[in-house]
Amino acid sequence: MFASFVQGPLVRVIPLGLILLALQRTIFVEIQVGGVIIQLVMAMAAAAGVAGGSERGAIVGFTLGVMFDLAEGTPLGSTAIAMTIAGAVGGLLALIAADPHWWLEAMFTALGTAAGVAMIPLVRAFIGESEPFQTQLGVVVGVVAIAAAVMSPVLVPLGRWCLRMRRAEWKQPVGEANP
Amino acid sequence: MAIYSVGRKRVILALLLTTALLVTLDLRGNPVIDAGREGFAQVMRPVETATGVVTNPIERLWHGITNYDNVQRENLVLQEQLDRLIGTGAAAEAAVIEGKELQALYSLPSLSGIDTEVARVVGYSANNLDQVIEIDKGSTSGIEVGMAVVNQAGLVGKITQVTRSSARVMLVTDGRYKVAVKVTSASVADEAAPTNTSPSGLSPSEVANGGTTTTTTTTTSVPALPGPIVPGVTLPDGSPVPDTTLPGTALGPDGEPVLDPLTGRPLTAEQITGLAVLAAQQPSTTTPTIGSTGTSAATPGGATTTTTTTTTTVPAVIDKEYGVLEGRGRLRLPQIGLLQDSPSLSELVAGDLVETAGGSESLAPTGIPVGRVINRADRPGSRGPLLDVELYADLARLNFVRVVLYKPLSEVDQ
Repeated sequence: MFASFVQGPLVRVIPLGLILLALQRTIFVEIQVGGVIIQLVMAMAAAAGVAGGSERGAIVGFTLGVMFDLAEGTPLGSTAIAMTIAGAVGGLLALIAADPHWWLEAMFTALGTAAGVAMIPLVRAFIGESEPFQTQLGVVVGVVAIAAAVMSPVLVPLGRWCLRMRRAEWKQPVGEANP
Repeated sequence: MAIYSVGRKRVILALLLTTALLVTLDLRGNPVIDAGREGFAQVMRPVETATGVVTNPIERLWHGITNYDNVQRENLVLQEQLDRLIGTGAAAEAAVIEGKELQALYSLPSLSGIDTEVARVVGYSANNLDQVIEIDKGSTSGIEVGMAVVNQAGLVGKITQVTRSSARVMLVTDGRYKVAVKVTSASVADEAAPTNTSPSGLSPSEVANGGTTTTTTTTTSVPALPGPIVPGVTLPDGSPVPDTTLPGTALGPDGEPVLDPLTGRPLTAEQITGLAVLAAQQPSTTTPTIGSTGTSAATPGGATTTTTTTTTTVPAVIDKEYGVLEGRGRLRLPQIGLLQDSPSLSELVAGDLVETAGGSESLAPTGIPVGRVINRADRPGSRGPLLDVELYADLARLNFVRVVLYKPLSEVDQ
């Protein structure tokens, strides 16, 4: 069990999550775009999904989400649901292309992040919060998604590192080798 | 390359169910989760502090790039405001002192009697939904859930979570925040400012409008002089106040105690003297105006009868309405709703003052300034108007706040 933990993704995800969370709660609170806080941790969850598929993305999203809820004091699991979905959506979208270009990865990360951010007020509504839907939700989703796309060239490789994965290398079949 | 399979779907489903379980457990209140949260905060603190130190230059660079023009413009505006405030500051300070003295005389509740705890803001909410800050004082400093939080400008929010050494403050702008407030017509408040009046103590406009004036005559019977004199205390006409009048209750001409018209409690001679002194010190104002004259006459029995005539101009009825202030999230102004639809509401306009209403069940004591009304939107039917409120406190720049260590009367009784 210990060996599986050490070899699994969590041993890298948790320290990385601490650093990302610290960045989220310090610099990203200050650096706002149009009054919107960029969601670095959510983007990381989606990027992990793009890098490792929906299952691993969901696991990373769940872990980061629980950490986020613990740090922020929000109901435990409320952000974790959103980040799990962000990771899963990112991973599902990554199925479209076998070896996506960087711009496709950016697009998938953005869409996964957007799905996660849009889920947060929905979850809050389910847990009984009054009027969680803001009128500027569209702006928030848009800005956060664009920011996630911009950060994806860094976040997707980071996701691969967390999940101990390497970028797929396509080799020419032996029979079709050059004469 | 990621491959989609039924097994993967099960994992995602299991994770979603786990989160739902966690939400349920947390919302019901779970000591294990609370302990986990506190432990995680301890782990996070050094990482966050180190990250803050490292990223500080980047933050400054960002603010330098994005806010330079705004800061320059703001500096000009602030300089102008400062010049104006210096001019009015002294007068305002005197008014505050007088107000506190009057409140003390009448035993009215005031903010000055409530302890506060100064705390530093150590963190802001990192998501776009919640408007929450974290402060560096907790239950060890006497802070409890529900207490109001203010800064020098006015109301900031309320405590929603407390640990031993930190607490979370839900800001007024949070969508879940609600507080009972009263809206006072600013035009009436402005009228209360000192103005030039006629020698009678009435302003020319009041004289023209035939302002209502009531005259009450209070006769206080005291034993004959000579007697001990209260040092440094004189009546408005300059005559000394005999010590024998203190600290007993002042008696009226019928031998009955003089009662406070507001509280119905007997007034002491000291309180009457204090009111008279305050009234004498006060510059002539239009509303309310208290003019006092004191006359002394010796009676055949050797006793002195002091007659104090107090002329009070009944002020115009101050338009006050009570409602509930609700936050509406980021980038949106809080709004006051649930106002009664009464004719006096027509007086409520942009510029009116908003402060907490207090009450036995309110978490915030009465009289905390909140902000000014900047917009009024009328709604059809009997739902009353909605008032947009611009807060006095700048919630984007909170460094130090004060937690008002106040418990509502209903909780104190328990």
